[in-house]
Amino acid sequence: MNSIFNDPGFWHRLQFGFTIVYHYLFPQLTMGLALFIVYWKWRALRTGDDKYNQAVRFWAKIFGLNFAVGVVTGIPMEFQFGTNWADFSKYAGGVIGQTLAMEGMFAFFLESAFVGALIWGEKRLSPRGHFAATIAVALGSWLSGYFILVTNSFMQHPLGYQVEPNGSLGIASMSAYLLNPWAFVQFAHNQLAAVVTGSFVVAAMGAFYALRDIHPVQARLYLRAGTFVGLIASLLVAFPTGDAQAKMVGNHQPITLAAMEGKFEGGAMAPVTLIGQPNVAKQRLENPIEVPGALSFLAYGHFGSFVHGLNDFPKDAWPDNIELLYYSFHLMITLGTLFIVLMGFATLQNWRGKLESSRLLLWGLILAFPYPYIANTLGWMTAELGRQPWLIYGLFHTRDGYSKVVSNGDAIFTLIGFTGLYFVIGLLFLGLAGREIGKGPDEESTAVVEQREAMLA
Amino acid sequence: MIATWYAVVSFMLIIYVVLDGRNFGAGMLQWFVAKTPEERRQVIAAIGPLWTWHEVWLLGFGGTLIAIFPRLMASAFAGYYLALFLILWCLILRGISIEVGGHINDRLWQGYWDFNFVLSNLLLAILFGAAAGNVARGVPLDPQGNFSMAFFTDFNVRGHVGLLDWYTVSIAVLATVVLAAHGATYLTLKTEGSVHDRCEKYARYLWITVIPLLLAILVESKFVRPDLPGRAWSNPFWWLGLVVIVASAITLISGLASQREMRALVGSNLLIVGLLATGAAAIFPVMLHSTLAPENSLTAYAVASSSTTLLRASFWWPIGFALAVFYFVFISRRYAGKVSVQRDTQGFY
Repeated sequence: MNSIFNDPGFWHRLQFGFTIVYHYLFPQLTMGLALFIVYWKWRALRTGDDKYNQAVRFWAKIFGLNFAVGVVTGIPMEFQFGTNWADFSKYAGGVIGQTLAMEGMFAFFLESAFVGALIWGEKRLSPRGHFAATIAVALGSWLSGYFILVTNSFMQHPLGYQVEPNGSLGIASMSAYLLNPWAFVQFAHNQLAAVVTGSFVVAAMGAFYALRDIHPVQARLYLRAGTFVGLIASLLVAFPTGDAQAKMVGNHQPITLAAMEGKFEGGAMAPVTLIGQPNVAKQRLENPIEVPGALSFLAYGHFGSFVHGLNDFPKDAWPDNIELLYYSFHLMITLGTLFIVLMGFATLQNWRGKLESSRLLLWGLILAFPYPYIANTLGWMTAELGRQPWLIYGLFHTRDGYSKVVSNGDAIFTLIGFTGLYFVIGLLFLGLAGREIGKGPDEESTAVVEQREAMLA
Repeated sequence: MIATWYAVVSFMLIIYVVLDGRNFGAGMLQWFVAKTPEERRQVIAAIGPLWTWHEVWLLGFGGTLIAIFPRLMASAFAGYYLALFLILWCLILRGISIEVGGHINDRLWQGYWDFNFVLSNLLLAILFGAAAGNVARGVPLDPQGNFSMAFFTDFNVRGHVGLLDWYTVSIAVLATVVLAAHGATYLTLKTEGSVHDRCEKYARYLWITVIPLLLAILVESKFVRPDLPGRAWSNPFWWLGLVVIVASAITLISGLASQREMRALVGSNLLIVGLLATGAAAIFPVMLHSTLAPENSLTAYAVASSSTTLLRASFWWPIGFALAVFYFVFISRRYAGKVSVQRDTQGFY
């Protein structure tokens, strides 16, 4: 019997994939939103204008809820290195464990020690102290991103390691490992994508309040900041960081690039496919609409550059799901382009002073907020599917990495458990975030809050 | 080097147990020490803003374990597969029930989440206790250093053992009582009014219950692992742990007797440190004992990363730890004193 039930590797991959995609829905907003909170707190300090404090207070609530879900869904990620990927941990734990531990000690400790101060600190800390807490939380969340991206970059482009006498991997050069050029590019690309998510959510909130004609001052603040930052981040996520990421893939993982583009035959003047479906069985792209030479230029800088096709490589070196990889990559780029168009238009209308009166555009901003989450997910699917069949590129196969002592049934069981639990968490999160949004920003001024505090104390 | 790292990794786990143990204990006692919805909010507020800070120590420990003892992490985590997922799901449930309860001011809603809160904390204490029992007793490691285990087999402690047997269950009971006592001691410090008074009473009764349980476990351990006492007696750190236990017990007792709540909590913290440290010192260098054949046991030396890798890790770890101490000081000052439901809940916790 040859069904997926008999392929444990499939279930371990699915479980890790599902839990990490779900988990990352939360940190991407944490990282993006943290910058907005720091900015508004800084403005509040500089101008003394209370609307900024109101914005901080409101977003800190959303942030706190989001952060808590991020923490509880994050712990299973680290544990799964041992439970589901024991053979991978045995082989590479000495290397990847370093950054996982650093993430805990340098990033999570910082973030979680100060997140309480961010959410409640306005009443217990001085304004400057509260500002410092927002910076500490933002720094912690971004550091955490960096350590995880170093870990992933090692899996994409291993550097700084040595093979130990027992055959496992150890650290040869900590600086080569931590300063992997792949990590720099991936960090920049990924963090900007998180800022895109954050700014779309902020802009959507502003649009929502503007459309309902409530909280006008806050709505204006969110719309202005969200659309402007959204435009800048959407542009930067495409160029230079997305471009640099693709070049990195082209240089170090040429098979991946070929699969991402659904390119079976290699050649010069390689086209970029705008539309088309890969047909792996017949080894061709169906109904392609292409821009000739564009891929050669984008990946290697010259229209005449030779780009490898999948057929230049043995079949067992191909990523094992070319269709999914192709669609993920192409849909990510399509969405990214639409983000630039939407935010560009919104910024223009804002500059002309017409954003709040343009109902259609406000609706567009509300409806757009889920798509950066999708684009972030697709980007990660491109990175992870593209690396296949390797777990550590060129060193270690995915099929060798999972826990051999864990039976299929156990893995399926826990996967189903996570599916149910995460469904409930999703409902709770949406319901409670919805309630906070419904209540809206607290329009009491800080002075009133302080007065009430003094009475209670 | 490896022995030092063994101490470091154990230390991180111990800190986690001391910090999150308060929450387990306070959580499982919530129903008993707090009767009205307002009093229950008080218990949540005592945990509220800090539970993530406590929980991330588990991540710090887990990451360090992968880096320093990758083969142990791989063998143990895969072997305890289902049990670990139970722990993970309870941790998720616990965190969620702290966070969402206060969002809606409704008795049914809060009662439901309080139920989940009490249950998940109780299960966590039991599961972590059983896990500690498993480390002390050993697991059925094969010659390749792998194992997989049923929840229970014949409840015996040798051969093909299960997760639960009479020994691990009794350690789970001890752990639950110790953590409940720890939580009560913590709540005594953090709360006022009738919650405070009940916690004070609970702390005394629970700590008294710990004494016979602890003695029973000592006798049991000598039977389950006859190889341990000899090894422990020649380990100076075991004696050091014993000194910590005695000193912290005196601190705890005097704190409880004189109603000096901070002193009692310090004693309670250090007592847990001492108990776990003596345990860690007693089993060293074996990190995972095999119940099938002693030669299958995984020692710290066999499962550690190479010395160059360990050396690299010793550059950054002290910096990270120093920072953690700094945050700890900040937190202790910032959150010092009794919680007040009006100030600390904000309709949130």
